[in-house]
Amino acid sequence: MVDVDEFIGEAKAEISEELGDSTAIIALSGGVDSSTAAALAYEAVGEQLVPVYVDTGLMRKGETEEIEEVFGYMDSLRVVDAADRFLGALEGVTDPEEKRKVIGEQFIREFETVAGETDADYLVQGTIYPDRIESEGNIKSHHNVGGLPDAVDFEGIVEPLRDLYKDEVRSVARELGLEEVISERMPFPGPGLAVRVVGEVTAEKVRVAREATHIVEDELEEYEPWQAFAAVLGRATGVKGDNRVHGHVVAVRSVESRDGMTARAQELDWETLQRLQSRITGTVEDVSRVVYDVTHKPPATIEYE
Amino acid sequence: MTHIVVVDNHGQFTHLEKRALRDLGVDVDLVENTTDPADVDADGIVLSGGPSMERAGRSADYLDLDVPVLGICLGMQLIADELGGRVGSGDYGGYADVTVDIVDEDDPLVGSLAPETRVWASHADEVKELPEGFTLTATSDVCDVEAMSDADRDLYGVQWHPEVAHTERGEEVFENFLERC
Repeated sequence: MVDVDEFIGEAKAEISEELGDSTAIIALSGGVDSSTAAALAYEAVGEQLVPVYVDTGLMRKGETEEIEEVFGYMDSLRVVDAADRFLGALEGVTDPEEKRKVIGEQFIREFETVAGETDADYLVQGTIYPDRIESEGNIKSHHNVGGLPDAVDFEGIVEPLRDLYKDEVRSVARELGLEEVISERMPFPGPGLAVRVVGEVTAEKVRVAREATHIVEDELEEYEPWQAFAAVLGRATGVKGDNRVHGHVVAVRSVESRDGMTARAQELDWETLQRLQSRITGTVEDVSRVVYDVTHKPPATIEYE
Repeated sequence: MTHIVVVDNHGQFTHLEKRALRDLGVDVDLVENTTDPADVDADGIVLSGGPSMERAGRSADYLDLDVPVLGICLGMQLIADELGGRVGSGDYGGYADVTVDIVDEDDPLVGSLAPETRVWASHADEVKELPEGFTLTATSDVCDVEAMSDADRDLYGVQWHPEVAHTERGEEVFENFLERC
């Protein structure tokens, strides 16, 4: 485990030195990595840092409001509402890697705009060590190490967390005094709910993934999963109130892990599973079936795409 | 300070091998498997896992350095292949949870885990025949050769991944290896 105090001192010094008097932007995703990178950079250079949160329309329930509240202390915070643009760009896209690419490119467009408006010379990113490995190994592409630097002519990119693991980032977040809603936040993928919809992403399927994920997070809190969520797999036949429905199939996933590199599907009791099933089919419109994913990583990954 | 070099055969967990050793307080470097062993000064070598023997670079040359070597997954298969054993496809591509029986309690690497331990592994390929001088040290229902050792030459192999968080007592395997370095 990294020495947290020493790390924070060194990381802040590195950020101050790299940036000098220049302005930097950082993309806030709501996840622990980018939040921690932003908090570190803000401590180092204050209002020279412009945190940008893009609401892609692929965020969890209440996420945008939480970000506004937690990071409201940074006067430079910008919130961009880009939901329509992201969903438009994703129309007709079904291949998982293509989805990540489309989302990455749309992020770049949003940031190009903000970088231009703020005259930012530097980009700060919350890239952590496993992101670099997974991108290098072509297992999954991570948009935060993607094409933004090619599109915007930044003077430099600062990645203060580049050698840390997720559990170490959480220790840094706690030391920095980030609120628990951030430091203990479940990992959430950069492409958001788009990778929790298998196949084409539509506003309708994103709604189902969002509502169902909210229920899963709520119901499984006491199991303290490393990550828990719901994904929309496809459609299947069901019967509701004497009518045939061809509704969504929702997969529930709940795993324990230290670093996300390996994961174990959690053992949930039958009553809990039934309560999840009942709440999801009963309150999320157009869901006819709920399944629980029992696969570990490997051979599966934690997210579906 | 003990200096261990991890030779990267492009396994997805290679960096966790580095982390596990770092967390045990030794000095660790991760090197590309194309690195000339002559350029490496180490008290012990870890040959990482990876997707295929074709991408193992100069890994086998590290067996000539005359320092203890721990081969993990593909790293163990590479030791077997190089020293006259045989490697083949596993019958059962078992991933994740496997209970391994330790069959040699006196083995310096895995003996302390006896009688059994739970590990995370993948068995796409496995060692079918031990090379000369090696002893079978662990086995399981899904794979005959889960671990092998030649304590005289300080060459060790495990089919499972001691570096991942879900392997019980994985750290102990690295501690035992460091004892030999």
